[in-house]
Amino acid sequence: MDRLYYTPREVAQALAISDDAVLDLIDRGDLPALRVSPRIIRIPIVAFDLWRSGVVPKPRRATIRPASPMAPIGSDEQVPAEARALTR
Amino acid sequence: MIAASEDELLWYLVDLGQTMERYGAVILSQDSSDEVSLGRNGDDLILDLRSHLPTIQRAPPTALRLRERWSRTGDHWRLMEYGYELHHRALDYRRALHRHDVDRFVRAHDVVTHEHCESTLGVESCRHFAGDPVDGAREGFFRLYGLWLAGTKPDCSSLRCLD
Repeated sequence: MDRLYYTPREVAQALAISDDAVLDLIDRGDLPALRVSPRIIRIPIVAFDLWRSGVVPKPRRATIRPASPMAPIGSDEQVPAEARALTR
Repeated sequence: MIAASEDELLWYLVDLGQTMERYGAVILSQDSSDEVSLGRNGDDLILDLRSHLPTIQRAPPTALRLRERWSRTGDHWRLMEYGYELHHRALDYRRALHRHDVDRFVRAHDVVTHEHCESTLGVESCRHFAGDPVDGAREGFFRLYGLWLAGTKPDCSSLRCLD
């Protein structure tokens, strides 16, 4: 499977800015990223592409509605057979 | 245990939805594209966000679902149960982070939370694994998103089997 993320250095090269500037964007919360460990940061390609194109998802309006019928949490402990079959 | 006022809980939902979309998740199962909702069921509020994560062309979708049950206690809501699920159909694995049936799990295993890990979707090497508590849906999203982002099957053998 193709890699799904960039490293901060790859993003720095793509944007023609310094590594520190990329880390600053991440620290400020501007650039979506995942800190995998204290030394490893991954920037999801899909999130980077959205960010670079200037797409900022609008906050949705939150509401409370009557709950639709739903199986209790924990009732899906095992994956249903029909879902398993989809992958075969 | 997380507690929140109703306003805080609505804001939590707004922030969660926007964060997921910033990271490229496509939110499903909501009534409209500009709304996210909690379901009221008696003294409970139910969060149920289904989403798909991006896949390469023609690959089956990767499903990430976040479910929570909040119960009213006084003038606040408390997170009582959660189920955060990742079904990666292209790589054929499942990871899940669960908190439910707490009394049963405490009695049987002295744990409050547990996890599921199937390196082949639907094939369990262990019914329940010990798991670290998750600090809400945002953390649940990032833990599962991080697994998806790695692009490899999970290493279930590194987890402690409960039963």
